Parts: sequence; structure tokens; C-alpha cells
Amino acid sequence: MTSRPWSESLRGPAGALGTEHAPAYLPIDRAFALVNDYGTGRALLWRGPAPAEANEVATLWRRAAEAPRPHRVAPEEVVEGYGVFTFPYGPISMGVPESGRFDVRTYGERILTLGPVAGFKSRRILGALPGLTPEDALLRVERLAGNFSAAHAAAFLAAVESAAAIEVARTELWTRALAQELERIYNHLHQIARVAEAASQNVGLAQTHALAEEMLRIEGRTFGHRWLFGALAPGAPTRRLDPEGRRWLGRALRELSGRFEVLLELFLGSRTFVDRLQTTGVVSRERAVRWGAVGPVLRATGVAWDDRLRAPSVPYTDLFLELPREDGGDALARILVRAHEVRSSALLLEQLLDRWPGDAMAREAPAPPVGPGRGLGRVESPSGDLVYEVRLTNGRIASVGMRSASHANWPVFAESLRHAVFTDFHFAWESFGLVFAETDA
Amino acid sequence: MSSWVGQAIRRGRLTTRYPAEPATELELPMLARAPRPPAVVPDRLGAIAACPVAALSAAGGSGIRADEGRCIRCARCAAHGFDFSGSAECSRPDRAGLLVPPVPSGPGARAVPLRQLGRSVHVFLVDAGSCNACNHEVLALTNPYYDAQRLGIFFTNSPRHADVLLVVGVPTAEMTEPVRRAFEALPSPKAVVAVGVCPIGGGVFQSTPGLAGSLEELVPVDAFVPGCPPAPVSVLDAILGLLGRSRARTEG
Ligand code: SF4
Ligand code: SF4
Repeated sequence: MTSRPWSESLRGPAGALGTEHAPAYLPIDRAFALVNDYGTGRALLWRGPAPAEANEVATLWRRAAEAPRPHRVAPEEVVEGYGVFTFPYGPISMGVPESGRFDVRTYGERILTLGPVAGFKSRRILGALPGLTPEDALLRVERLAGNFSAAHAAAFLAAVESAAAIEVARTELWTRALAQELERIYNHLHQIARVAEAASQNVGLAQTHALAEEMLRIEGRTFGHRWLFGALAPGAPTRRLDPEGRRWLGRALRELSGRFEVLLELFLGSRTFVDRLQTTGVVSRERAVRWGAVGPVLRATGVAWDDRLRAPSVPYTDLFLELPREDGGDALARILVRAHEVRSSALLLEQLLDRWPGDAMAREAPAPPVGPGRGLGRVESPSGDLVYEVRLTNGRIASVGMRSASHANWPVFAESLRHAVFTDFHFAWESFGLVFAETDA
Repeated sequence: MSSWVGQAIRRGRLTTRYPAEPATELELPMLARAPRPPAVVPDRLGAIAACPVAALSAAGGSGIRADEGRCIRCARCAAHGFDFSGSAECSRPDRAGLLVPPVPSGPGARAVPLRQLGRSVHVFLVDAGSCNACNHEVLALTNPYYDAQRLGIFFTNSPRHADVLLVVGVPTAEMTEPVRRAFEALPSPKAVVAVGVCPIGGGVFQSTPGLAGSLEELVPVDAFVPGCPPAPVSVLDAILGLLGRSRARTEG
């Protein structure tokens, strides 16, 4: 069996990070962008100076948007050998409810390499935004990845407000954080339920799936929409959360977290569940840092990076955030990080509701623009760091660039399944929480 | 006592009474319902212009016609007095049926395409280019709150074992062929449900070049479920409708 190493192409500036002594966080003063350009056989890992000086960011983003569809989103390695063949899994497949393909190189027993192929659901969203008003563009951004809509809306709006120097009502910023934390809890519960399903832990699946549904109902009752479309708006909130609604929300969340604690204890007490997840889909800390992994995937390798701490905006600057971290780098570690984040998000929500801004007129200044008419917005989506870059001309969108957590995590996902058995696939997939819809924007 | 069974028993019955009883407020939050114009719209042209997806148009007299198949529930028309009071039973067997008030339409569609299947039906989910919210809403039907199995609705892992294709998302150029092939793979009798405004007419992406205008251009569609996304109860109702067991039909 011969194997052509491809890793040379990844040794950019980021390769300089120590292998043994990876820093405990990625430096905040350097905006970074990871662009998957594997469709053309190149991988670019770019961590340069702040984007104010670097037009490259936009160029790289644009190139990613122009990549051929469908295209590989993880490094290509050609493995040859007796009996080795490629098994295409998807784009419509059981198990993965989204459309995307995985090219599995195998000799029949183990996955030699796994090549995720994205672009089947390319809805050409970002390319269709120029010329629209930010409000109209927002309708599309919310529907880019529906289960992460609050994160996308918040990052996009922050970029718009920074570009246009719009002051934002404090209540709107509180609403954004509230929406994002609700969304985070839903997604983590969903992901845990899906892992339970993969592990045939049927009662656990049903109970966690029920909690996820309860989260959607809570979101629906609070914002009128189960997926938070329309919940956020530039400048000022469209929907007021009245004190009665906030009290109801607080009660509902306390009840839900109580039930989740019981479930978590049962999950962790189940040897079969824990054993199945342990050492499945391992990502080393060195690789996670070097390849620019983000979110729970990165935190599950022991790196305490979270935009809510490292690039905090109001109101996160004023809140206490308990940041879960695990060391295993495997599916269990990722699920534990998610489980503990359900807890930490519940704590954040409690603080948000307690300290709801009383002064409805109070406003906060936006982040300074990174260039004339150019703003950057950055939030921690449920799956990790999400960056938007927006340019405005005459109040209308001139261009939008977006780098999602899914973009960042495809390479480590593919790598984590090298030499794994097929049955590991779903555990890895569900614990990573990748979303084709984000890459296929 | 701390065990899975104990936990499940303590939680008791979660399952909805739907379709025996109407959907509740929690099952059908405001924006899961279609907007309805007030008796008199003060600024008719303003209301029509406010809709970002051209779902509103002038109807006879001073009325307004709403196309539920386009409405993304953005709530902009709320400023013109619209209220969100549509029902959970919003799916229709033909595209024209989504216009409120209706326009006279051509020959009727197969109203109950799978009546002969009786009590049980197997469904297969295809994502033609969705934002993921519709996928999650369809999969929510398997959670204990909706428990679609109690109604004889089973999700299968292969289109070859399915009677119903549930299609979510706006069909992209790349998914055109896979969707057609999935449809071919279903044995007859079969039915296709367009879940959400994306497959019905593109939803918010309706004018983007490079996307198919609607699922109907690719495969015959038997039920249209409007919404962005539709609530799980509405998807449930659409599937039951294929079997002649819709709540709307039972009542009417
Ligand atoms: S809710 Fe929005 S999309 Fe629907 S009719 Fe009203 S304005 Fe149009
Ligand atoms: S109809 Fe709405 S919710 Fe459903 S896939 Fe399309 S944009 Fe997403």
C-alpha cells in the first residue's frame, strides 16, 4: 500500500505552532481564516495579520465560494493497494439526514481515507446578497443553516453594524445572546440524541430527543418561531420580551436543565454508551490546533478557545461563563463538552434574564469597522467560531464573506476516521456536529 | 431510583393528542401559522410591497390574496394588520390550493393517492437543498412528543422500502438527478410531499439563478406543506392526508 503524503501543503504560517506545546488558545489579535480549497487540490490554512490590512481574507473566502460544486472539503490522499476501492456514500444516504457525499477509500473492512464532498446543496446564497438591503439579506442569512440561524444572524448583524457604524440597543444585544444560548442548548441536545441513536441507546434517545423538542417549544413560545427566524434585527429588537415572558422562560429552562442532569448521569453510568464513544474518532490536540479546528471539537482536545471568552462582545463581557474542556479528543470528549455546555449555557441564560437591561433606550457602540464600509462579525456558533465579513455601499450589501465552524472542522473530521471501522462513522459524524448547509452557502 | 426506565416512567405521557384534538399553542407557535389579512387593509399597495417574496397580490374588490406557497413567515405584513391565524392543517394536494382566497383551478389532483395503504405507511426523507430546519422538523416526528409510529408512520432507510418521499429544501442543480433517482426507486403506489416553501416555489431563494424553481419541475407532487419551516404537526397532517386520514378531512 502506498500513500502520498499531502501534509506539506498545510505547512503555512500556522505550521510554526509548536507541536508539543500548542498554546492553550488561539491568539485573538490575529484574525484567522481557514479556507478549504481541496476541490482544486490545494489546502490553504491562513492565519495572517488582522484583516484590516489583509485583503486576502475576502479573496480567500471568495475563492472558497467559487470552488467547483460538488467539491471535496478535506485533504485528498490517494491510497492504492490490492483490493482498495472507493465507495461513494451519499449524497442521499441513510443516517445522515443532509445531502452530501463521503468518498470512502477502503479494502472492505476499514476506512482507509474518508473524503467528504460538499456542494450538493449549494443554494448560491452569499453570491445573491449583493444589492440587497441588510434587512432583506438577513432573511437569507437566517435560512442559510436553520439550526444555527441565531448564530448566523448575530454574526452577520454585528458585521453590518460595524460596517455602517450603527449603534445597537442594549436590549437587542441581550436578545441576541439569549437566542444564541437557546439555540446552543437545542443543538447540543440534538447532537447527544443522535449519538444515543447511533449507540442504540433507545430510551436515552427518546428522552433526549424529547428535551430537544421542548427547547424548540421554548424558542417558539419566546420568539414566535421554533428556529428563531425573525428573532434578531439590525439596531433594535423587533420583539420585546416582557417580564412575564422572561419569568416563564426562566422557569421552563430551570425545569429542563434539571431533567437533563438526570439524563446525563444515566448516560455516563451506561458502560456500553461510554465504551462505544471512547477512542472513537480521535483528534489530537496538536492536529486540532494546527488545522484550525474550532468549537466543541477543539475544546474536546483540551484547548479552551471560545469566542465568547476570547472575542467577547456585549453582553458576554459582563457574564460569567464556565468553559467546559475535555482532554480525550474522541467522540466521548466532544459529547461531554456539549453536555457540559448545556449546563453552562443554562447558567448564562439565567444571568441574562436576571440582568435584563431595564433602560430600553440604552445603546452600545458597534465594533470599529475594519475598513471603509467593511465590518467583521464573529460569534461562537453551537459548533464553533463563525465569522462574517460584510461590505456595504450606500446602505446596501456589496459583498458578504462567511467562514463557518463546518468549514473549519471538515479536515479534522475526515482525518479522525482514518483507519476506523465503518461503524465508527456515525459516532464521529454526530459528535462533530458538521452541517453541510453551512459549507453549501 | 435512577434508571432509564424509571426516568421514562416519571416523565409520563408526553405524546400529543393531535390529530384527535387540535394542535396546541406550543405545537403551533405564531410563525408556524399562515398570515391572514384583516377585513380591510388600510394600505393595500403598501402591504403588497412589504412582502419580500411577493406572496401578496391584489384580489377582487379591495382584497388581498396570499400565496401560502411563497410565504416565509417573516411577519412584515403584521405591520399592515395581518395576523397569524392559519391552522395546522395547511397542506393542499395542488399548488393552486395554497392561494387564499382560492382562484378557480384546473382539473383536481389525486386527493387521496395512498388510500389503499390503509393503516401504515413508510416514508423516506430527501434533502434537496434545505437549511436543515425542515430536516429537523421532519425528524422531530420520531420524538416522543409526536411519536409518528403510533399513527402507523415509519421512517425507512431506503427509498426502495418507502411509499412516501418527503422532500425538503430548494432543489439545487446538483440535487436534481439524485432527487429524480430517489423518486424512481420508490415502488408504486407512491406519493411525494413537498415540505416547506423551499421545494414548493423556492421560498426566500426563489429568484436565485442555478436553482430549480420548484420540486414540481422534477417529480410529480401530491401534497404541498407550506411554512418555513412547517410545524411537525403540519407535516404529520400532510402524511395522514395521503391516506385519507387528515384531521381536516375527518372533521369536514
Ligand atoms: S409573513 Fe412575510 S412572506 Fe408571508 S405574506 Fe407576510 S410579508 Fe409576505
Ligand atoms: S422552507 Fe424555510 S425552513 Fe425549510 S428548508 Fe427552506 S428555508 Fe429552511
